[in-house]
Amino acid sequence: MKLFWPGIAALSLIVLAAIIGTWLTPYDPAGFAVRLRFAAPTFLHPFGTDEFGRDVLSRVLSGAHLSLLIGFGAMLVSLVGGVPLGLFTAFNRGWGGTLVLRVADLLLSLPPILLGLLILAVTPPSTLKTIIAVGLVYIPIMLRLTRAVAMELLEEDFVQAARARGESAASILAREILPNAWPPIIVECGLRVTFAILLGSALSFLGLGPQPPASEWGVMIAESREFLDQAPWIGLAPGLCLCVLLVTVNLVGEGLRARLDPSHG
Amino acid sequence: MPGWTHRMAEPLLAIERLSVAFPTRRGLVQALQSVDLSVPAGGALALVGESGSGKSTVVLALLGLLGRARVDAARMSFDGIDLRTRAAEVRGRRLAVVFQDPSSSLNPALAIGRQVAEPLVIHGKLPAATARVQATELLAEVGLPRPSALMDCYPHQLSGGMKQRVAIAMALAAHPDLLLLDEPTTALDVTVEAGILDLLADLRARRGLSLLLVSHNLGIVDRLCDRAAVLYAGRVVEDGPVPGVLGRSRHPYTRGLLAALPRPDETGLLSPIPGNLPDLTAPVAGCNFQPRCAFAAAGCEAPQMLTGADHLVRCHRAVALEGASWPAPAPLPPPPVRDGALLVAEGLSRRFGAVQAVDAVSLTIAPGEVLGLVGESGCGKSTLGRLLLRLIASHAGSLAFGGEAIPNDPTRSFRRRAQIVFQNPDTALNPRQTVGTILRRPLEHFGIARGAAARTEIARLLELVRLPASYASRYPHQLSGGEKQRVGIARALASRPEFIVCDEAVSALDVSVQAAVLNLLAELRQSLGLALLFVSHDISVIAHVADRVAVMYGGALMEVGPAAIVLHPPFHPYTQALLSAVPVIGRRARDRLRLPGEPGAVHPGEGCRFALRCHRQLGQVCLEQAPPWRDLGDGHQIRCHISIEALQELSQGS
Repeated sequence: MKLFWPGIAALSLIVLAAIIGTWLTPYDPAGFAVRLRFAAPTFLHPFGTDEFGRDVLSRVLSGAHLSLLIGFGAMLVSLVGGVPLGLFTAFNRGWGGTLVLRVADLLLSLPPILLGLLILAVTPPSTLKTIIAVGLVYIPIMLRLTRAVAMELLEEDFVQAARARGESAASILAREILPNAWPPIIVECGLRVTFAILLGSALSFLGLGPQPPASEWGVMIAESREFLDQAPWIGLAPGLCLCVLLVTVNLVGEGLRARLDPSHG
Repeated sequence: MPGWTHRMAEPLLAIERLSVAFPTRRGLVQALQSVDLSVPAGGALALVGESGSGKSTVVLALLGLLGRARVDAARMSFDGIDLRTRAAEVRGRRLAVVFQDPSSSLNPALAIGRQVAEPLVIHGKLPAATARVQATELLAEVGLPRPSALMDCYPHQLSGGMKQRVAIAMALAAHPDLLLLDEPTTALDVTVEAGILDLLADLRARRGLSLLLVSHNLGIVDRLCDRAAVLYAGRVVEDGPVPGVLGRSRHPYTRGLLAALPRPDETGLLSPIPGNLPDLTAPVAGCNFQPRCAFAAAGCEAPQMLTGADHLVRCHRAVALEGASWPAPAPLPPPPVRDGALLVAEGLSRRFGAVQAVDAVSLTIAPGEVLGLVGESGCGKSTLGRLLLRLIASHAGSLAFGGEAIPNDPTRSFRRRAQIVFQNPDTALNPRQTVGTILRRPLEHFGIARGAAARTEIARLLELVRLPASYASRYPHQLSGGEKQRVGIARALASRPEFIVCDEAVSALDVSVQAAVLNLLAELRQSLGLALLFVSHDISVIAHVADRVAVMYGGALMEVGPAAIVLHPPFHPYTQALLSAVPVIGRRARDRLRLPGEPGAVHPGEGCRFALRCHRQLGQVCLEQAPPWRDLGDGHQIRCHISIEALQELSQGS
């Protein structure tokens, strides 16, 4: 994949911006300026200002870490939960594996946003809870993928060869299955990061994520929709940032998969 | 340019100086270099070569289906139509194709009738009802039973041979003049292959069809074609009438191929062609076979021309080498079979759902002995191999190894002493481990060697299978098929086993490579005193490796005995059919026996499993009573109702 390094560069830039962004901009992301409400993008305010006169660029920068946290955090939750469970169900064809699978199917049958709502609605919202909720929603997907890949690999002759040596299940997993199962899982991780950011934003949009005045991108988009006709830049800036972030994460995920393949290049 | 194209009337298909190159990451791969071919109307040309020779590329180039490849030809015409620009007009109509794998060339979601009628509706512009009637007639023409009932079947309900007949019917639907056959029988059992070859020969005669057969199998070329062109790494190296090319080969490569070909009536070592295909990204101007050629000499570096009158050859030494044969390897000393039994199986059985895959099989293997296990696909031979290794659990019966009973969950010591080599070199090795890692694992697992000692041992193992020690750092994808198979063998040898199951271990390899791997196995069992269970569908391969042969049908053994006896009369009728179905160069087609029914069609109930397909069935007794084992002495046993005398008598005639 030729776009791997540009993707890495862009992602590093976004991460860097998320970490030091607030010190870079001269404006307080929460600072009101009534006279500057709905200012169109200018040299001083490259992304314009919002309904309270807050600088949109400053807000986008200060909210970046929230989107990144939700995206990567939820991906990690689904990875840590889904991969071991997927491997377990691939190996265990008895009642234990079946039980796990049925529960996963049950979760899969619910729309993700509903499931997120279910988890978040009963308790006061917070960023950490959003991460866990979104991660839980994606565990069944990770589980299904890992199981499918592992079951296919279990039929391969090199796994049969390991069995013919009397290798333990743990050794077969670690040596034969996991190294070959990683590439599709990594691609899926990239996708999950992007979906998690979107779902996190959607949940925030519904008021179930980080609360205003936090400048999480989903919250910003939610707040901006009332002013879409008079000040489209308020929603456009976080929307575009979200777009760029999703594309870079995908580029990096796809590039990693290709790089991990020994027959590559 | 072949002279014979000019002597005849305008050929149906004429290809002149066809070159094809594929752009890849490694550079431009020259798949075909200036290939000249022609098929006269009513003629049958075979395009012979191993994988990578470019033979399938010729077919795709003719059909205009090469996509982004660079195709360059001075001429590519079919009955006056320029295929370079107008291939789409004739393909699927006057130029029809039958591909290798019938299970992937038929659409699994459509009924057979619809698939056969489709070309009639699209190309023939027939109304649906008429097309359906004609489709039924076509199914009957290709020899399918009960065609009207078949029309509503789906591909998964048909056997491989039936599917291939449907594919042929589809190709015939548009009344083609030329049938392109791309390895049409490679995916089929020999007994089924024989029937398909009959059908093709018959269609050729009846419909006046011309054939272009692409195959690696020289036996079927002999059966079906009147001319053959031998392709090596993108170049035609020999082109002439089939009896000449196969009987008095003029190019060293053709001779090498023929020497490497196992025959059911021969034993001993085969003559492999050393080395691998040349790098097609950097084609040499001179002979590209020279690095592997046994007859290479000064002058081979110069560009070679196809010369000759009717039998053309691309070799400057062709005249000097007239009559020379490919050098044979030195014969091995007699096999080190010791007395006693290493492995004893008693009544081993295994079911999969309702299918009795292996039914009460008993056999013994002596230390150092090679037992060949032969049968058609689905007969349970691979399952039996895995039962003997306890890779799958048996439902009944017992297994003893080295005098000890081996339970379904065996000890580590049994795992060390009994190993396996797989069929497909591409899936047998973990793609993410280097050869060194692959070989180190069994050494560490069984506590044979670690660290520096393991490195020495890996080098020794690689040397055993004739690979350079530097291969330890390579990944499987950097190896050729034959090299991968050698690594698979080295992995099995790593634990210093006494017994190895070779499950179709050479079936996925090209003939020249197959010969080398077979010889390697023969040498290894000689030097290491290994016992092998050699599982194969190819009775010719079995003839070359086995000391004793077991013939399996429908989950049970039919005949067991020393190879030299089993492969000669008297036979079990099934063994006779298997041997007879093998397309051997020079054997007359009509001498071959035809089995009715499908491979693995097992007669249910108490009677003989083979009764429904048996050409010598005696009637009620075969259908109702289990056949007895008849002992013919020397450890030769046949499970058949026919008396020994009758078996002996009737076998004389075959």
